[in-house]
Amino acid sequence: MTAFLRRRARTDAAEASVIRMFDVGMTYPNGKVALADVSVEIPSGDFVFLVGPSGAGKSTFIRLLIREQVPTTGNVRVAGRDLIRMRRSQVPGLRRRIGIVFQDFRLLPNKTVYENVAFALDVTGSPRAIVRQRVPQLLSLVGLQDHAHHLPTQLSGGEQQRTAIARALVHDPAILIADEPTGNLDPVTSWEIIQLLIQINELGTTVLMATHNQEIVNAMRRRVLALEGGLLVRDEAAAAYEREY
Amino acid sequence: MRFVRFIGFSIVRAWQGFWRNAMMSLAATATVILMLVLLSALFIVITGLNSGLEFIESKVAVTARLVDNLSVTDRNELVEEVEAYPGVASVEYISPSEAMDRLRQSYREVGRELDLGDPDSNITLFASLEISLDDPNASGDVGAALTAHDDVERVLTKQAEYDTLLGIINVIRTVGLVGLGLVGLTVLFMIINTIRIAVYSRANEIEIMRLVGASDSFIRWPFILEGVLCGLVGALVTIVLVAIAWDPIQPAMVTIFQMPTAVSAQFLTTLSVILLGVGLGVGAIGSWISVRSYLSVAR
Repeated sequence: MTAFLRRRARTDAAEASVIRMFDVGMTYPNGKVALADVSVEIPSGDFVFLVGPSGAGKSTFIRLLIREQVPTTGNVRVAGRDLIRMRRSQVPGLRRRIGIVFQDFRLLPNKTVYENVAFALDVTGSPRAIVRQRVPQLLSLVGLQDHAHHLPTQLSGGEQQRTAIARALVHDPAILIADEPTGNLDPVTSWEIIQLLIQINELGTTVLMATHNQEIVNAMRRRVLALEGGLLVRDEAAAAYEREY
Repeated sequence: MRFVRFIGFSIVRAWQGFWRNAMMSLAATATVILMLVLLSALFIVITGLNSGLEFIESKVAVTARLVDNLSVTDRNELVEEVEAYPGVASVEYISPSEAMDRLRQSYREVGRELDLGDPDSNITLFASLEISLDDPNASGDVGAALTAHDDVERVLTKQAEYDTLLGIINVIRTVGLVGLGLVGLTVLFMIINTIRIAVYSRANEIEIMRLVGASDSFIRWPFILEGVLCGLVGALVTIVLVAIAWDPIQPAMVTIFQMPTAVSAQFLTTLSVILLGVGLGVGAIGSWISVRSYLSVAR
């Protein structure tokens, strides 16, 4: 079912760290320091939580990874690419190596589940044969094969987030970035989404999840990166949401 | 293969976009039609006047009124002398009685009879030489040489008519082009706004396209083609309008402006090509400006 995800995991093994930040600082033109001296390495296949209060720098951290912004200092490498030296024309290539999902799902309301997922392939010029092959595979992976022709408005929040996850995986990315993916979901549905992310991670995709959900972070016991005031204050394996010592 | 997919994707999205934003798209198309109709009118008038100019140019001739009582010998010498001038094709002597016959004839052509009052009056016209030229530019030199000649009383050329028509054409052309430029700017502005509204109304889609790795050309070209579509539809509608109006206009072009029939037959094709080119060009430039400014801001 997910041979392409496994195949991708093997190809990326050559680059040990799928995300590498070194002394990264980001100061906005208004003088606000969003990140300062952040150095992080995330190995391929890791599952990492990014936590911290609002305004701590989580969103900036993610924007730097998808090269929506370029840091004012330091270096960022993602999936083997140097994001500082990257030309504008190379950014779409990078984004196909990164899947991203958001709290508000960001689905196109006038397109069905199938079309929303296929859209990500269409807009990158993928052949129809690939679309016909890949979309059902992904809908099956996220458990929406029976909802392919439903509009987002006909789906529950959890199903909408599954659709967004399927769309994020269409290009077989090395990393899946989830920005508060359970923020709009009830606890039961949130756990279902986490189970799906674990499954995707087990198939070889690195997962970075920004969250405020203490219960999930505490129960999962995965690596935690904690940001506060733009500083990386904690980088701990098998950790809880709050410092435990 | 990827290029074919890109073209197909862009055309389908442009078509969907055009109809999704139908009111604005049709308003922009209407301004394109207005501009192209004005362009057609200007083109028709200027081409007509140019044809008239060419007709006069081809008929450029100099008439030299001769002094009274010129002897036959002197007259023949003068004819030979004038025939030797550079640019002169032929010289014809018109006697006073021939001149009178022509005058009568021209009256009859408009349905009147020349009335000289007293039938016994001995009104006579001047004898003259009618000099046709094979080089229209020689008219000035030939005129000057004849004016200086003792046997010539007065020189008449069509230079004045030619200059007047040229002046009119230049004024119409200048006023027309300025007017057309202003309308063109309005059209450009309309298309820029139409496409900008289309872009903003699809901001979510564009953001998703960026996040999933669509290249700038995949994002940009559907909008550019949407602008091109406004120009294309505008041009096609205008071509149909001009083709309908051409039937009554064509005979006028031939009779009033002396437009050669061969030119007149090709005219509609030439005008259609120009309308298509201008329509597509304005659509493409307007949407390009709009999309370019949006994409460079929203990265």
